[in-house]
Amino acid sequence: MPSKTFSLPKIGSNYQGFVNLIGLAEQFAELSYTRLDIDMRSATWFEANMCASLGAILYKSSRNLNTIRFVNIPDRVGQILAKNGFLSNYGFTRLRDTWSTTIQYTRFEQKDDRYFGSYIERHFKSKAIPKMSDPLRKKFWESIFEIFSNAVLHSETKLGIFACGQFFPRKNRLDFSIADLGIGIQKNLLKKRGLHLPPDQAINWAMEGRNTTKTGAIPGGLGLKLLREFIRLNKGHIQIVSNQGYWEQMPDGTVVMKTFSFPFPGTVVNIEINTADTNAYRLSSETDPEDIF
Amino acid sequence: MSEPITLQITEILGTGLCVASEDGQKVYEQIATALRDGQKIRLSFLNVESLTSAFLNAAVGQLYGQFSEEQIRQQLSVTQIEPDDLALLKRVIDTAKLYFSDPDHFEVVKQEVLGSSDEE
Repeated sequence: MPSKTFSLPKIGSNYQGFVNLIGLAEQFAELSYTRLDIDMRSATWFEANMCASLGAILYKSSRNLNTIRFVNIPDRVGQILAKNGFLSNYGFTRLRDTWSTTIQYTRFEQKDDRYFGSYIERHFKSKAIPKMSDPLRKKFWESIFEIFSNAVLHSETKLGIFACGQFFPRKNRLDFSIADLGIGIQKNLLKKRGLHLPPDQAINWAMEGRNTTKTGAIPGGLGLKLLREFIRLNKGHIQIVSNQGYWEQMPDGTVVMKTFSFPFPGTVVNIEINTADTNAYRLSSETDPEDIF
Repeated sequence: MSEPITLQITEILGTGLCVASEDGQKVYEQIATALRDGQKIRLSFLNVESLTSAFLNAAVGQLYGQFSEEQIRQQLSVTQIEPDDLALLKRVIDTAKLYFSDPDHFEVVKQEVLGSSDEE
């Protein structure tokens, strides 16, 4: 089997981190029956939630009968990726997560809604992670489910949905990421609505008002907006990458949009929440149950 | 019309995790059958732990594509629902009404988006 070596630099949960991962995906695109050695010597930092995106890229490549091998992994990065279960997919031993701060890297099928539910319950009932108020935890869980449902309903992926997260107790920060290998927002918008927008504008369209690409008997168009509202109130952070588009909502609510030279092979939603937030999350307190329909 | 029947969501699903569109479909089918039979229904959210718009769109939102608003108002009510879940349900219903009542909605949105990008 021929082999090729690819160098992976630092991967942060930011635009440049995605540029680096997309660069890797682009180099893999035409390869099959090849051993792909990923040299991590320069990857002195790798944000754990980005395993979902990297895992999606590698899974797609392995479907072309390539074999992945990680080499020269710096100790610190290796420990993080071994604790969250990512490296155990590539022949490494899983390390015990002593402080229960990782949300394990896992691949789901589209039909795995309930399994995904138990995955979330399992991780958020652990000792370290529930340092959140009850309303915040409920809202956070529901936001994660909204992202997962969005991937199930819109991505049309046959290759699965990838999730991973990390809790930073001292920084009161929780990062979580869901990636799919579906058609992406831009292509979905073109296919379902005949609307051709630049890739970053397509994401922005999906995040605005009541816009939805949903068609048929079941309405849609709320999930991503609810997520956006919650994260803004929480002063958290959202990044969405889909095809060649990048969309980011900063903690102050401002939005940054960019494009990539090459596409990510699907869609990624990264969220970062502020776990010290003590707000009560009510969408509204004035709804009358007698007058709801 | 006879006394309302109570449909408890967690009993239909066997879980309080009301997050999947597919599970919402199961609830929808029960509600739709009872509505067609002219039955009054009380939809109970007792012991619902997590709720998403995807679930509610399938369970309740799609009713507006099959039944008139008047019929739904007359025959369906909700009970034992937490205030924030009620608020979410209200948004799902408002969105569903818009979705089914305004076929030109997306055309309008399309024009707005294209208009704004033309100006850039």
